[in-house]
Amino acid sequence: MKQFPHARQSAIAAALALAFAGAASADETCNSPYTTRLIKGQEGYVHVWTLGAEGVGDGSDKLVTIDAHPKSKSYGKVVHTLSVGGRGEAHHMGFTDDRKHLWAGGLDNSKIHVFDVGTNPAKPKLVRTIADLPAKTGFVGPHTFYALPGRMMVQALSNNKDHGGATGIAVYNNKGAFVAKYDMPTGDLGGVKGDGYGYDLAINPRKNVLLTSSFTGWNNYMMDMGKMVNDGEAMKRFGTTMAAWDLKAMKPKQIFSVPGSPLEIRWSLNPKDNWAVTATALTSKIWLIKPDGKGGWQAKDVATIGDPSKIPLPVDISIAANGKGLWVNTFMDGMTRYFDLSNPEAPKEIYTKKTGKQVNMVSQSWDGKRVYITSSLLANWDKKGEDNEQFLALYHWNGKELTEQWRVDFNKEKLGRAHHMKFSAKGGKQT
Amino acid sequence: MASRPSALLAALAALLLAAPAGANRAEHKPVAARPVMDYVPPPAGSYTLQVIQQAPDGQVVGRDGLQHRLSDYTRGRITLLSLIYTYCSEPTGCALAYEAGVEVKQRIVADKRLHGRAQFVSLSFDPINDTHDAMRAYGSAHAASGGPLPWQFLTTRSMRALQPILEGFGQDIEVERDAQGRATRTITHMLKLFLIDRRGRVREIYTTEFLHPEAMLNDIRTLVMEEDAQR
Repeated sequence: MKQFPHARQSAIAAALALAFAGAASADETCNSPYTTRLIKGQEGYVHVWTLGAEGVGDGSDKLVTIDAHPKSKSYGKVVHTLSVGGRGEAHHMGFTDDRKHLWAGGLDNSKIHVFDVGTNPAKPKLVRTIADLPAKTGFVGPHTFYALPGRMMVQALSNNKDHGGATGIAVYNNKGAFVAKYDMPTGDLGGVKGDGYGYDLAINPRKNVLLTSSFTGWNNYMMDMGKMVNDGEAMKRFGTTMAAWDLKAMKPKQIFSVPGSPLEIRWSLNPKDNWAVTATALTSKIWLIKPDGKGGWQAKDVATIGDPSKIPLPVDISIAANGKGLWVNTFMDGMTRYFDLSNPEAPKEIYTKKTGKQVNMVSQSWDGKRVYITSSLLANWDKKGEDNEQFLALYHWNGKELTEQWRVDFNKEKLGRAHHMKFSAKGGKQT
Repeated sequence: MASRPSALLAALAALLLAAPAGANRAEHKPVAARPVMDYVPPPAGSYTLQVIQQAPDGQVVGRDGLQHRLSDYTRGRITLLSLIYTYCSEPTGCALAYEAGVEVKQRIVADKRLHGRAQFVSLSFDPINDTHDAMRAYGSAHAASGGPLPWQFLTTRSMRALQPILEGFGQDIEVERDAQGRATRTITHMLKLFLIDRRGRVREIYTTEFLHPEAMLNDIRTLVMEEDAQR
C-alpha cells in the first residue's frame, strides 16, 4: 500500500470531512433484539472479524477469538483464529436468531461466511460460504446482517453493474438459501428523493418499522483514500438519506434528508422509547428519528460530535441498554466519546478519551461496564505507517472514566486489521 | 452443523431421565406480558409474504395414537404450526403461543370466509412425556379434526422421529441443567410459530416480539387471497 507523508495524510483527512464514512456496528445492544440469548452478564469471548493484510501472518481474512472472561487463564489472549483464505474486505457480522451462527461479510468479494459459534464458541467453525449474492440480487458488498425469525436480512452497499451506491436488501433463510431482494428507494416519498444507497438497517417490531441509512458504493469504498479525495466526482457519491419502511410489507414509506452519510442506526431498547439515533460521518452530527405525531416518522439533527471543523469523523456508535447513553468513536482523532442521551432531543457529550491513533468500532456489554474498541475502518482507508495501529482493547467504564484493562496488538500478533466484534458466552451459555 | 443431530438426541435423552412419564402437566397459565403492537398492519393482500423455506416432513402421532405423515396436517390448507411442550412453565413461551393461537382461532371462527381455509398444529418436542394422550388433554378445549378450524395436537414416537422435524424447521432446543449438571424439566427454546401455505412452504415465522394476532390474521388472509388469485 502506498505510504503517504504526514502532510498528505492531513490533506486526506481534511478532504474526508467532505466525503466518506465506512464505519461499522457491533456490541450486545446493537444485535437484532430478536436474536435470542442476549448476554446480559459477563461475555466469555469476543470474536473479531479481521481483514487480512499483505505481509501480516497468512494475509487472509480471519475470525479471531479472544478470551474475555476475567476468571480465565487466557483472559485477554487470542485463543483461536480461523482464516477463510484470501482477502475479501472483511467488514461486518451478525448472529442468526438462535445465536448459533455468525454471518460475516466481505465488501469486496461479496462472500458471506457462516461460522458455527454455538457448538463451541472458543473454536468457531466455518460451516458455509454463501457466494450467490451478486448473481441472485445484482447487489455487492454485504454489509449489515440483521436477524429476523428464521432468516437474515443483508443490507448491501453497492451493485454489480456500475459498482456505484445504488443497492438493496437481500433476505436469506438460516440455511443459506436466497429468499428475496428489495431495492433501496430512488423515487420521491414525502418530498424527498431517495438516493438508492444503503448502509445499515434496524427494525422495531412494535411499530412495524424498518429504518435504513446510506453510505457509498464499491467504487469509493475500495478506492485508495488519497485517490478518492482528489476525485471530485467520487466525493459527491455519498448517501444523504434515510428511509422508513413498512417492515411487514417491505415497502419504503418515507425518505428523510439526512446529509453527510448517516451510518449506524440504533433503536433505544428501553421498552418505553420509540426512537432511534444515527451519526453522520461527514457532518459529525447525531440525528434522532422519532414519531412525527401524524402516524409517520421524522429525522432531526440533535447534536454535534466534537468539533466538526477538526474532522473527527464519527464512525461506530453503541447505545446503552437503557437508552440513556451513547458511545461514539471518531476515527481520525482516535477519540472515544460518551453522550448523555437522557434527553434524546439534546444529547450532551460528557466524556472524551483518546483510545488509539485510529478507532472505528465500539462495543459495550449489556450492563455498560465494559467497552471494547477496535481500529480498522477499511483496508484502503486505514491510516498508514506508524499510525496504522491495529488492536482490540478492553476498557472498564465506571460511569466517569474509561480504564484500559488489556490490548491485543493485531500487528504484533500477525493477525491483520481488527474490525467488527461480537460476543459469545463461555460454553455457549448465557450468564 | 454436523454435530447438531447427535447433540440434540443427547439433550433429549437427558430430558427423558429428568422428566418421568406421567409427570404433572402444567395448566395453560396466563402469559406474563403480551408483545406490544403499536401499529396498524398493512391491509391483507397489499403485500407478499416471503417463501422462506419448505416445511419439513416426518412421522408424527395423532390423537388416535397412530402414526401419520406431518405433511398430512400441513398441506392443503394454510397451517399455523407451533412447537411446544405441555409442561412448559415459561409465561413468555408456550403459554404465549397457545394464547396467540386461541386469539387467532377466535378471529377465524368469526369470519366465515376463512372457514375451511386454515388449520392449526401444535407439535410437542418431548416425544416421551408428551404422549398422544397428554397432547389430547393439553389441547382438549380446542382440539378439532374438522369444523371451521381444525387444530391438531401432535407428538412423535421417538427422538429419532422428532429430530429431523426440528432440524428442518430450524427449531433450536436445549435442556437446562441444575448446578450439579443434571438435566432439569425445563427445555430452553426460542418460541417460533410457522405459517405454512397450502403447498407446504413456510411463509412467515413468528417469535415472541412478532406475536401480534391481528397481523397474523392478516397474513392468513393474504395467503387466502393469493390462493384465490391463482385459481
